[in-house]
Amino acid sequence: MLTRRHILLSSAMLAIGSMVPSAVFAQAADPGASAFIQKLGDETVATFANKGLSREQAVEKFRTLLYAGFDVPYIGRWVLGRYWNQASPAEQTEYQKLFERLIVDTYANRFVDYSGQTFKITGTRPEGDADTSVTTQILRQDGPPIGVDWRVRKGGSGYKIIDVAVEGVSMGLTQRQEFASVIQGGGGRVDALLQALRQKVGSRT
Amino acid sequence: MTLASFTRPFIRVAAVVMLSLSAAGCANSPDAQDGAGISDPLEPVNRVVFGFNDAADTLLLRPASEVYVAVAPDPVRDAVQSFLRNLITPLIVANELLQGDLNGAQVATGRLLTNTILGVGGLFDVASTAGMPYQEEDFGQTLGVWGIGSGPYVVLPLLGPSSLRDATGLAVDTVADPIRVWAYANDAKGVLYARAGVSAIDRRSHILREVDDLKRNSLDYYATVRSLYSQQRRAQIRDNNTTEQKPDFPVFN
Repeated sequence: MLTRRHILLSSAMLAIGSMVPSAVFAQAADPGASAFIQKLGDETVATFANKGLSREQAVEKFRTLLYAGFDVPYIGRWVLGRYWNQASPAEQTEYQKLFERLIVDTYANRFVDYSGQTFKITGTRPEGDADTSVTTQILRQDGPPIGVDWRVRKGGSGYKIIDVAVEGVSMGLTQRQEFASVIQGGGGRVDALLQALRQKVGSRT
Repeated sequence: MTLASFTRPFIRVAAVVMLSLSAAGCANSPDAQDGAGISDPLEPVNRVVFGFNDAADTLLLRPASEVYVAVAPDPVRDAVQSFLRNLITPLIVANELLQGDLNGAQVATGRLLTNTILGVGGLFDVASTAGMPYQEEDFGQTLGVWGIGSGPYVVLPLLGPSSLRDATGLAVDTVADPIRVWAYANDAKGVLYARAGVSAIDRRSHILREVDDLKRNSLDYYATVRSLYSQQRRAQIRDNNTTEQKPDFPVFN
């Protein structure tokens, strides 16, 4: 009994011990990040609620908002992971261009077909060394709300989103694992990915 | 105390039984954390089964779900979903208890009682409106809460993406399912087949557009689904309340 209490006590101490430093050193979540997401979200809703836009105009607006809100080159590089360093500078440049087109192709349609969803910010928390996660809920008419987390980093050009997690599923990680699979399937060559990307985005423009 | 002394030996036995699984699962976590990959030693076989499932989906399930959405009005489909969910809620209560989530067990029990009585046998999800949202729990998640890793990724014929741990959990849930026990006792297996069919169409009908999008935008549909599945399961096991081990987002220069 004594030993058992002992174990309990020491594990409780361990638990407290490991909590204290993180509580002391945890930086507060940056309130600017939440204001940034609010503004970006409002702009996005206002833009796509306007149904008078032609498809081309809407895609162009989407591209503008994408660059205002997201650090696309950072995300592209992060998604390529360890293969970034294996790629030649020419491959890196082509990859970034194709990645951007893939993002626009993938997501623009969802915004063009916007149908009245709204969002609300439900919280913020510090993430990693210097980032902030802004948690939001996307409210729909035809279903329960969807939890979306925006990982925001403050850089030279202000706040930018570097990852989005939908119900705990990171878009960046999903793409990273997908791209890694394509590269591995192609014998570990980055060129295999570039080929697949060319085929994907080339076939639609 | 009584609950703890009752469940503890069971948990211990279960933990021993699952030890092999656990060992297999351990290999998975550092990889997943790094974001490099998911343990998938059976990939060639999995891809074949995945292709078969995808063909069955394209030929049967997706068209059937489309017809279902076109023919059945919203309130009917809502009622079907509520009814199916209500049927598996006893299993959810059991799994919440096994996970030590008393609050979750309470909500699930409240849902079962509210929807069965006020919701006319589960046809109406009154409980969600009353602030008791549906949360899916299964024995695979319970094993995860107990600290057992996912083990290798497997694609089950017709049932789709899973893992060694989650497939084990599915087998346990299937055997423990009260409806199944009842159907076997009353020689009414037809009920089980009907439920399986309707349930598949119900689930598929909610993600028609999402799956189309995913297929169209993926370079490697198999790898995308594998990544989504493994992340989704980890999120479900966390129940949104514990901090997850996130991949590193370094500063590039």
